[in-house]
Amino acid sequence: MITIPYLTAVSTYFSYGLLFAFGQLRDYSRLLFDWWRTNNLQGYAPICLAHEDFYIRRLYHRIQDCFGRPISSAPDAWVDVVERVSNDNNKTLKRTTKTSRCLNLGSYNYLGFGSFDEYCTPRVIESLKKFSASTCSSRVDAGTTSVHAELEECVAKYVGQPAAIVCGMGYATNSAIIPVLIGKGGLIISDSLNHTSIVNGARGSGATIRVFQHNTPSHLEKVLKEQIAEGQPRTHRPWKKIIVVVEGIYSMEGEICHLPEIVSICKKYKAYVYLDEAHSIGAIGKTGRGVCELLGVDTADIDIMMGTFTKSFGSCGGYIAGSKDLIQYLKHHCPAHLYATSISTPSAQQIISAIQVILGEDGSNRGAQKLARIRENSNFFRAELQKMGFEVLGDNDSPVMPIMLYNPAKIPAFSRECLRENLAVVVVGFPATPLLLARARICISASHSREDLIKALQVISKAGDLTGIKYFPAAPKKQDEEKYGIKLD
Amino acid sequence: MYVRALPTTDVNRNTEWFTYPGVWTTYILILFFSWLLVLSVFHCSPGIAWTIVHLAHFTVTYHSFHWKKGTPFGDDQGVYNRLTWWEQIDNGKQLTRNRKFLTVVPVVLYLIASHTTDYQHPMLFLNTLAVFVMVVAKFPHMHKVRIFGINGDQ
Repeated sequence: MITIPYLTAVSTYFSYGLLFAFGQLRDYSRLLFDWWRTNNLQGYAPICLAHEDFYIRRLYHRIQDCFGRPISSAPDAWVDVVERVSNDNNKTLKRTTKTSRCLNLGSYNYLGFGSFDEYCTPRVIESLKKFSASTCSSRVDAGTTSVHAELEECVAKYVGQPAAIVCGMGYATNSAIIPVLIGKGGLIISDSLNHTSIVNGARGSGATIRVFQHNTPSHLEKVLKEQIAEGQPRTHRPWKKIIVVVEGIYSMEGEICHLPEIVSICKKYKAYVYLDEAHSIGAIGKTGRGVCELLGVDTADIDIMMGTFTKSFGSCGGYIAGSKDLIQYLKHHCPAHLYATSISTPSAQQIISAIQVILGEDGSNRGAQKLARIRENSNFFRAELQKMGFEVLGDNDSPVMPIMLYNPAKIPAFSRECLRENLAVVVVGFPATPLLLARARICISASHSREDLIKALQVISKAGDLTGIKYFPAAPKKQDEEKYGIKLD
Repeated sequence: MYVRALPTTDVNRNTEWFTYPGVWTTYILILFFSWLLVLSVFHCSPGIAWTIVHLAHFTVTYHSFHWKKGTPFGDDQGVYNRLTWWEQIDNGKQLTRNRKFLTVVPVVLYLIASHTTDYQHPMLFLNTLAVFVMVVAKFPHMHKVRIFGINGDQ
């Protein structure tokens, strides 16, 4: 639940209206200007229609230097950000050879595996020498090595399901698996804030898609009841299959899914549950096993568990874990398994080593330390930000914390001010978020030390004062030890 | 003064911004401030200013709500390419609160414009024509109707 000051909402709409009006004015004058000039299209149709990329040309390009900043080092707690210059008002940006060392609050480096690790990296280099960088083949041809088999067993054991299948790309895991699981005549009920990969997979499957209000189990029950009673769109026959798709942690809100209620509703109405743990696997839960461990849900109740290795494990790729029959079926039918190149062997080795560190199987307790540190860091940072008066979303224990900006002008202002003070943050606006709710998304890592976080808080406070985003009154200063923040609901 | 923003179930990014709090107030404030702007730029009587605001409002909203089709986002893959903005909002459901509000605004503007010009010609004629076209375009019966194929697809 997001609480906006009414005046901010009105002024944000007004700003967007102004930007839109100026953009249209420029488009019309460009149209008039080009009337005289002959185009050099030579009879070909233009690549994109003028109105389709209006947003990119007139709004996104103006603040392009805040997005897509290249980095030239590993995404550790501190990262080298390459500086860029523009000679034509941000229409094109050129990289310079200068870099600035910034505190990294943008990478999904939850457990700190994003850079050199004393257990994982030597093993990865060894497997690179033994197996080479790519398997150059799909899994069914010649792309399955002993490391791949070990990885699938390891992942299945870690997540708590009988079997697992691994794919080379996290996005493709969702968009290639969902069409295999359900087709025309089926129903997909997905949370309104699900990731684009799920939306793509659902659209590609041909099933009917219905959306329920974000993280609201009562609305899910209402939608399920309605849809089961009505049946398929024109014939009103019963649905062949119903899959409810939810995520563990929502990447733009930092909220944790209300999994126990949703699972009980799905059991009642006999719908399958598909849980996408891209951000929650490895980051929450006592041993890092994700949202099921955190909320006490039995993994046997979740029919399909999906996750990615890009966030907490410092690698690439995604997995699907489920019953043996499901995985056997997927291995025979999923195009990502049959035709796409398998995950590269050193990356697979990195995942296996990361899981071994997390579970403590490497002989040290670094895994438990990392998990405790990310929990501590997240709770400390969130509590401090809320005390300063920022509007921070997300539940306790979640390492993702968006700070609300709202106004479109504050998006580049906040981002550039932070970069000037050597703090790299990610800002997100429309269309990745709703129009009104632009935000700066902070991702905390286990490799951030307490001094790093304190420095980040100082910079954010200063930038927040300059841009005026402290929408709530600041808590009065007390001589207290750290306390845990309240849950914003 | 704070207000809660509930997440919507509208997946169409072209129209879901209209479901958040503050839109109606912003719309009315923009109309009021444009009246003040017209008054200060043209030094005309308040009635003429309201007529100008009403006619400009008619042009802008007719073009953006009832003429332009599709969405400004390429990755919607053209699923809305046959629908105008008016047909897209609230997922095509008729007679919702948003639609009722947007129908009332041109009528109220018409009443203000005709009252402040004392119902004189030619302003009355232009205002009446504008409001007639606006309100007819917003009828539930006109959903996806293209008269004489105007603005239809190829």
